[in-house]
Amino acid sequence: MTDDWNDDAIEYVQAIADTKLILSHRYSEWMLSGPALEDDIAGASAAQDEIGHVRQLFEKLSDSGRDPEWLQGDRDPEEFSNAACLDDTSDTWTEFVTVAGVTERAAWYLIDSIAHEDFDGLGQRIGQDEYFHLEHLDARLSHQAEENPEAVEEAFAAAAAAALALIGPATFDADTDPLVQSGFTDRSAADVREGFKRHYETLFEETDVDPSAVDWDAPDEASWNETRRRIGDGHVDPDVVDALGGVKNAEYARA
Amino acid sequence: MSKSSKSEIDEMGFGPFDIGPDGTETDLERAVWANLDEIPDPHIPLSLVEMAMIYDVTVEDSVANIDLSFPCMGCPAYEFIHDDIRGCLRTMSCIDDVEINVVWDPVWSKDMLDAEAREKLQESGIAL
Repeated sequence: MTDDWNDDAIEYVQAIADTKLILSHRYSEWMLSGPALEDDIAGASAAQDEIGHVRQLFEKLSDSGRDPEWLQGDRDPEEFSNAACLDDTSDTWTEFVTVAGVTERAAWYLIDSIAHEDFDGLGQRIGQDEYFHLEHLDARLSHQAEENPEAVEEAFAAAAAAALALIGPATFDADTDPLVQSGFTDRSAADVREGFKRHYETLFEETDVDPSAVDWDAPDEASWNETRRRIGDGHVDPDVVDALGGVKNAEYARA
Repeated sequence: MSKSSKSEIDEMGFGPFDIGPDGTETDLERAVWANLDEIPDPHIPLSLVEMAMIYDVTVEDSVANIDLSFPCMGCPAYEFIHDDIRGCLRTMSCIDDVEINVVWDPVWSKDMLDAEAREKLQESGIAL
């Protein structure tokens, strides 16, 4: 049952779901453009998995009172709470692999932190998919870090900033994180951020990518939008929202 | 041949998992199980029951409540399977409505498939 989720919990799951929704769209943009056939197959599979996750998360949000049509895309672009690094399509494969890897990992850490009984089994099942997604993305990101360290470092600094905002401000520790306090999660934003940082420090250890280029203290809590879990008022392009809602397909069907 | 036509419903086994019929079903619930066992998985030559995707069935006030799980969360036949279940059970004279609850606990596993289901998959060239 989801009738005991408070507003913080609803917005937290909404941000995870919207991030996965836009991520699936970005996967679909790249699933015929990867450097190897394996990348295209992996991208198509990941897009399908992510949409499957979104479907279940939207079910939970609907049970908690969110309007199903609004969830499905009948809303303005600025009402999406996706990680900011997904607002625009990636210009290069290096950037895409970096953005996808970083946002998938952040979103998975947030799901894995949920202690509410509504995620019993659901979280475990999503984790089974994420294991393979993250193995693949880390392998590709490691390869890119060896081949194109400067491009990875630049893309990583931007993507990590958005991922850290999605996770939450560093000032949200075990004593202050409202989701930990309500019992919805069992790890604070500060703890999740630490694990996230440690992972990438290890991943890039043997490469020329310098993770210290990231501002690991951002975002500042005062400027952080707690509803959309980001900084600033950026958003996806309206065309992306139309694509998600199948607007052009509907127009074609009516013709 | 479907699972229910080869064995009694209360003999259906799903290994150590707390899913499936447990022998306490009413006659109507047993009939629902038998009908669900006639619905084929769209991708694999097994029924939804043989695939261990039906975790539980209860009928109260002529409403069938079905706990359904999926091997794949992004299953492209998700709505199709929902429609098949509703269409199948609404033909039963004692069922007025069907409520489908998608559940993930326990997480579906190949370990839920019994020996007969495994044999059918192997005969169809599907590796486990």
